[in-house]
Amino acid sequence: MPYEFEEILETIRMTEIEHFDIRTVTMGISLRDCHDRNIEVTKQKIYDKIIRYGSQHVKLAKEVEAQYGISIANKRVSVTPISIPFDACNMEEFIEIAKTLDKAAEEIGIDYIAGYSALVQKGMTNGERELIKSIPYALSQTKRVCSSVNIGSTKAGINMDAVNMMSEVIKLTAEKTKDHDSIGCAKLVVFANAVEDNPFVAGAFHGVSEPEIVLNVGISGPGVVLEAIKEAGHVDLQQLSEVIKRTIFKITRAGELIGRKVAEKNGIPFGIVDISLAPTPAEGDSIGDILIAMGVEDVGAPGTTAALAMLNDSVKKAGLMASSSVGGMSGAFIPVSEDMGMIRAVQAGNLSLEKLEAMTAVCSVGLDMIAVPGDTTATTIAGIIADEAAIGIINDKTTAVRIIPAYGKKVGDMVDYGGLLGKAPIMNVRTISSAGFVGRGGRIPAPMRSLTN
Amino acid sequence: MKLTEDEIRKITFEAISELGDQITPEAVKELVRKRVEAMGGDYKFQKGEVSSGRVILTSFGLNHPGIVAGVTKALGDANCDIQDLSQKLLGDFFTMIMVIDITSSQKDLKEIQEEMNKVAESLRVKIYLQHEDVFRFMHRI
Repeated sequence: MPYEFEEILETIRMTEIEHFDIRTVTMGISLRDCHDRNIEVTKQKIYDKIIRYGSQHVKLAKEVEAQYGISIANKRVSVTPISIPFDACNMEEFIEIAKTLDKAAEEIGIDYIAGYSALVQKGMTNGERELIKSIPYALSQTKRVCSSVNIGSTKAGINMDAVNMMSEVIKLTAEKTKDHDSIGCAKLVVFANAVEDNPFVAGAFHGVSEPEIVLNVGISGPGVVLEAIKEAGHVDLQQLSEVIKRTIFKITRAGELIGRKVAEKNGIPFGIVDISLAPTPAEGDSIGDILIAMGVEDVGAPGTTAALAMLNDSVKKAGLMASSSVGGMSGAFIPVSEDMGMIRAVQAGNLSLEKLEAMTAVCSVGLDMIAVPGDTTATTIAGIIADEAAIGIINDKTTAVRIIPAYGKKVGDMVDYGGLLGKAPIMNVRTISSAGFVGRGGRIPAPMRSLTN
Repeated sequence: MKLTEDEIRKITFEAISELGDQITPEAVKELVRKRVEAMGGDYKFQKGEVSSGRVILTSFGLNHPGIVAGVTKALGDANCDIQDLSQKLLGDFFTMIMVIDITSSQKDLKEIQEEMNKVAESLRVKIYLQHEDVFRFMHRI
C-alpha cells in the first residue's frame, strides 16, 4: 500500500469529522476594461464579463469537491475596486453598478461578490468620495455585494478624514438595514494595509497589480487544529507549536491542491493560498476553543494574546513550507459572530473590546464582526477604527474593522444573521469621547516604519 | 510527457501571435494540438478533465458478512482494477482501504461514487472515494 493505514484514516477523519474544508475559492476578475461614458454600456460590460468568466465557477468547484472528497464552503468572486475603473461616476451611478454586480452574482450562483471598494489611505478622488457616500445605499439595496475601504497604510499613514467619513457611513448603513439586524455592516470592512489578493469576502478585492483573472484559495481548519492540540495532551509549548505546524502543513497542502485543480478546470491562472485559520459558527470549528485547548480558562484571560501569537506564528511557518504561493492575509481570524468560542467568552463577560484589540495586534485582520450598541456615536466608531489602523500601520500588518452598531439594540441583546455570518452579542463600548481627537481631521503621518529604503 | 499548465499557456500565446489576422478559436486549437504533440506531450491534458488515475476507497462501519464481497462486486462490475487492499477489524468495527485504478472503467469518478453510495446504503457502511492526489499532497513532501 503506497500510504499507511493511519495516514488515510487521518485524512478521512479531518474531512468527515473535524470540519476540514476549503473555506473559499475566490475568482478575481479585473473590471478595468469595462468603463464606458454611457453608464448603461458600462453596466452591460461589467455584467457580461462576470458571466463570461464566472458562469462555470460553482459547477467546476463542485466537481473538484467530489473528486477529492474535500468540501469547499464558499465559491465567490472579487472584482477590481469599483472606484478605480469607474472614477468618473457619481453616487447614483455607483449604486447602479452595485445592483449590476448583485445581479451578476445571482446569475452565476454565488452568495457574495466583493470589491465595491476604494483605496483612500492618502487622499480621495472625486469618484472615490462618491463611491464611499453611496455605500449605505448600495449595501441596503443589494444582497450579495460586499464593500471595503482602505483608510491607512504603513507608507501613507492614516487618512483621518476618510476614517470620519467611514464611521458616518457605518452608522447610516446600520440604520438603512435596521430591519435585518443592521446586516449591511457585516458586508463592510474598513482596512489599513489592505492586501490585493485576499480571497476572503467581505474584504476581498482584485487589486490593481493583479492579472486579468486569477483564482485564490482560503483554507480553513480550526477544528482539525483543535483536535490535534487535544490529542497532544500536556506537552510544553515548543512541542505544541510542532503539533500545530504539522497539522497546518497538511491542511495547506490540500488547499493548494484544490486551488490548483479549480483553476485548472476553469482554465485560468492560480494565484495564492491564504493560510488564514478561519472559523465558522459550527461547533468545534472555533479559534476560541483552540485558545482554551492551549490552556487559558477562557478567551480573554491573561495569556490569551500570547497563545494567539504562538498559534498564528506556527500557522505561518507551516503554511510557508507547504505552499510556494502563500499570500492574502495569512494569519488567524478572530471574528466574534462567526466563532462559538468567542461568542461564549463575550457572553460570559470574559472578553472585552479592549482585549480583542490587543489580540488583533498579533494575528490577522482585526476587530471583526463586532456588534456594539446602536447608539454608539460616529466619533467613537472613528476612534475604534483609528486605534485598529494604528496597530496596522505601526506593525506593518493588515488590520480591519467590521463593526456593527446594531440599530436600536443595547448591551445584552443579540444580532443573529444565521449561516456563516453567525450571531453576535452586543458588546460594551466605553462612552468617554474620542471626538476631540478624531475631529481634528487631516492625516496621521506615515510612521518611521515606512522609511525602509 | 505531461506538460504543465504554464507550458501549455505559453504555447497557446505563441500560437495566437503566430496566427495574427487569421485567428479563430478552431485555428488556435489546431495549432496548439500540433505543437503539443510535436513536443511529445499529451493533448488530452488540455481538456482539463482528470477522471483518470487512481483513487483511494475507504470503507468503515459495523462488521457483518458480505461487506468486502459487496464492494468488490460493484467495483468489478464497473471494470475498476483493485491494486491494493488492506482490511482491519477493530473490535466490532470494520475498516477497509483500497487503491483502485479507474482508467479502464467506462464510468468516471462521479458515477462510481454514486454507485458506491448505493452499495454503502445497502451494506449499512460508509464508503468514501477520493482521488489519490489528496493523500499524496498531504502526506508526502
